[in-house]
Amino acid sequence: MTDLLHLLQAAAQDPGYGHVPGIGGRGAVWIAAQVHLMFAAFVLGVPMFAVVTEVVGIVTRDAKYDRLSREFTRLLVFAYSATALWGVALLFLLTTLYPRVWGYLSAIFGPSMWLYAGLFFAETFTLYLYYYGWDRWTTGRGKWGHLGLGLLLNLWGTTVMFIANGWVAFMMSPPEGVTPEVLPQQVALWPALASATWMPINIHRLVANAVFAGAIVAAYAAYRFLAAKTDAERAHYDWMGYVGNFIAISTFIILPFAGYWLGREIYEYSQQMGITMMGGFMSWLWTLQAVLIGVLFLAANYYLWLGMGRIPGAARFRPYTKWMLLVLVVCWMVWSTPSTLIASRSEFSSMGGARHPFLGALGLMSAKNTAVNIMILTTFLSFLLYRRANRRPVVSWARMGTLAQGAMFALSAATVLFYGVYGYFVEAIVRIDFSVYQVIVVLMCIVGVTATDIMMLRGSASRGPIEWGRMPNRSQYALFVLAVTFTWLMGLMGFARSGIRQHWHIWEVMRDTSDAAATPALGDAANMISLCVVIFLGMVAFIFWLGGLAERPATKPQPAEGA
Amino acid sequence: MWRTNLSVACAGLVVIGFYTAVAHTIPQLRSEVPAELDLGAGMTVDALVSAGRTLYLEAGGCTACHGLGERAPNLLTDHAGSGPIGSRCGHRQAGLDCKAYLYQSLTAPNAFVVPGFSPIMPDARRQLSAGQIWALTAFLQSQGGEVTVTTDDIPVDAAAPTPPPAGGPFASGEPTDPRQLLSDHACLGCHVLDGAGGAVGPPFDGIGTRLDAAAIRNAVLDPSAEVSPGYEHVAGRMPTDLGHQLSARQLETLVTFLAAQR
Repeated sequence: MTDLLHLLQAAAQDPGYGHVPGIGGRGAVWIAAQVHLMFAAFVLGVPMFAVVTEVVGIVTRDAKYDRLSREFTRLLVFAYSATALWGVALLFLLTTLYPRVWGYLSAIFGPSMWLYAGLFFAETFTLYLYYYGWDRWTTGRGKWGHLGLGLLLNLWGTTVMFIANGWVAFMMSPPEGVTPEVLPQQVALWPALASATWMPINIHRLVANAVFAGAIVAAYAAYRFLAAKTDAERAHYDWMGYVGNFIAISTFIILPFAGYWLGREIYEYSQQMGITMMGGFMSWLWTLQAVLIGVLFLAANYYLWLGMGRIPGAARFRPYTKWMLLVLVVCWMVWSTPSTLIASRSEFSSMGGARHPFLGALGLMSAKNTAVNIMILTTFLSFLLYRRANRRPVVSWARMGTLAQGAMFALSAATVLFYGVYGYFVEAIVRIDFSVYQVIVVLMCIVGVTATDIMMLRGSASRGPIEWGRMPNRSQYALFVLAVTFTWLMGLMGFARSGIRQHWHIWEVMRDTSDAAATPALGDAANMISLCVVIFLGMVAFIFWLGGLAERPATKPQPAEGA
Repeated sequence: MWRTNLSVACAGLVVIGFYTAVAHTIPQLRSEVPAELDLGAGMTVDALVSAGRTLYLEAGGCTACHGLGERAPNLLTDHAGSGPIGSRCGHRQAGLDCKAYLYQSLTAPNAFVVPGFSPIMPDARRQLSAGQIWALTAFLQSQGGEVTVTTDDIPVDAAAPTPPPAGGPFASGEPTDPRQLLSDHACLGCHVLDGAGGAVGPPFDGIGTRLDAAAIRNAVLDPSAEVSPGYEHVAGRMPTDLGHQLSARQLETLVTFLAAQR
């Protein structure tokens, strides 16, 4: 015991930080961790909807879904090795540049690290079996067995992610009783793994992976659309891009709720950390985040509106788009309004506080929550119009159903606005619950309207088939904008999650005593994020190009049919 | 083909460039590591105040709450008509002068919470060294009041980063002087000893005639378990984590000392 104490004391005296010329040790770890996470998010997200698409193919007996699922998985195979390579690079960098931190973490999490490595092997073999067994198990029990492999792939991948999240969550929120004086060998594994922020991070990343992977797949399809030489190819990749975008946006809509939970848990764990995140030096980060998410909403809606050009009968909805655009832009502006201003004492005095006398009212959570919920409702309306564009309901209650849908939208929007305004007249502790009411109302509207629509369009008459491939090229650039924005947003949120620890490797347990312990300002962080995004997207483009080279003529896409 | 590749690459770079540019146009705030103070013989009060100002505005993270008027009282400007913090700290809490009140606010923030606000303030000792805490105290005193903090207040080893006192394997060399322990843990903010201190909780003077050592130990470790008659209205004010903050040796030293106060 005494020897161990001496060792630890010696370690405490020797910070043991390595250095990388040019970008520094932290820069190197930042890039490796971020790019690894981007690839990891892609390879964990794609299997989720690859399996769903395969199920749809089995149930509907429509071969095009099976082909799509296979194409998703093909992207996975090529991206998988890049994920592993960046993971290994991260491991080497951590062990050589941050040996003390790594030693501390491995002393606590050693057994879970071995499990992680074992599951990674299992995931790799399952993936290769899943992809290369596609042509072997095509019908009957074989096909269901193949589907089981896809489910296993998801199970291994999700477990691997949960384990790694446990290490990250521990660094943010070490459990009570873990102090600088407690030896890592004295920390029990499970409480350390299942710390306060573990499950919210798990759920947030699970949803975000599907969003991210959907956006990258859509960008891949957009590129293939632009490079297509035949109408059939163009039609296939137009459809694939639509599906990728649909996955990204529909899962993205629930992401803020997972983020809200994570934020709440951070506050519950440490008021100081929560305030640093939302009201301290990181408060401006959320303004930047609002800019990015506004772009996401605008690009997603723009893509849908352009997509209506390929649907017979959609012209009747065109007059509404300018109003939806207006609503989105106004909400975007409200959401981007900063809450408090960092100012000098004299500036505070002249403003009468930290808030702008007029715009300050729009910077409060009441206004922001209202804005984001209205944006979600507007985007959902775009999807609904898109869905109904070429259909003519034949049920006798069609008019009543449409009116009911309109009433649900109106009631939902009115309730969101009511709580938004009422929030200014109550205390913060009451106001916090209002955001939950707003979310519930919006979700109820989405579920109610969708259920009504499904029933109403049962057996509906068609105004004509969707003409896949009849899309202007600029629509595909909207998909690129979405993919780049999601990737950048992921980098920004990675910085937020990691940066709120400030100069602590492990919050209030192990200090960062290196030269790079200060948490950088947004500008410097943005430079690093952009570098990571360029590296990731550059590698993705290269990997997908390689994938295209390996494509056999027999697997060339067939024209998509129907919607 | 190359034209398509080029246009796609350009589109991506334009979007990335746009976000990077937006990030550079908004205020650039770094979260600095709290600077260690050079507490040499030449340390003046002005230098202490200056160091405190830097901590307050930057690494201390104080402005995240103090200054908005909602999460915490304004400190540099007026609050509820009582002026900035330096002019009101001396009569905030009975029995505590400005310096003692501010030090208690930083090190035992839940001992007294300004009415209308929630107990969200963290113990500054988890982030700052003793020297940094005294520098902050000096700066806050300077906001409308007289600075009475001197270098004599600062412990000799105060420049080292000091997590909250805790009993653990590294606890050798810990302070065991009971009077220093009472001072370090801001006990005298609420309890009277030798006729001095706050009158919020039961006095330490004569405590040995009212409670035996075991009862005192229990009261330190679990203050809400048994509340002294007449002090029900302040039940829950006393920190409940002293058992974590004190080593076993410190606790026993304190209990023995208090039990001897007759």
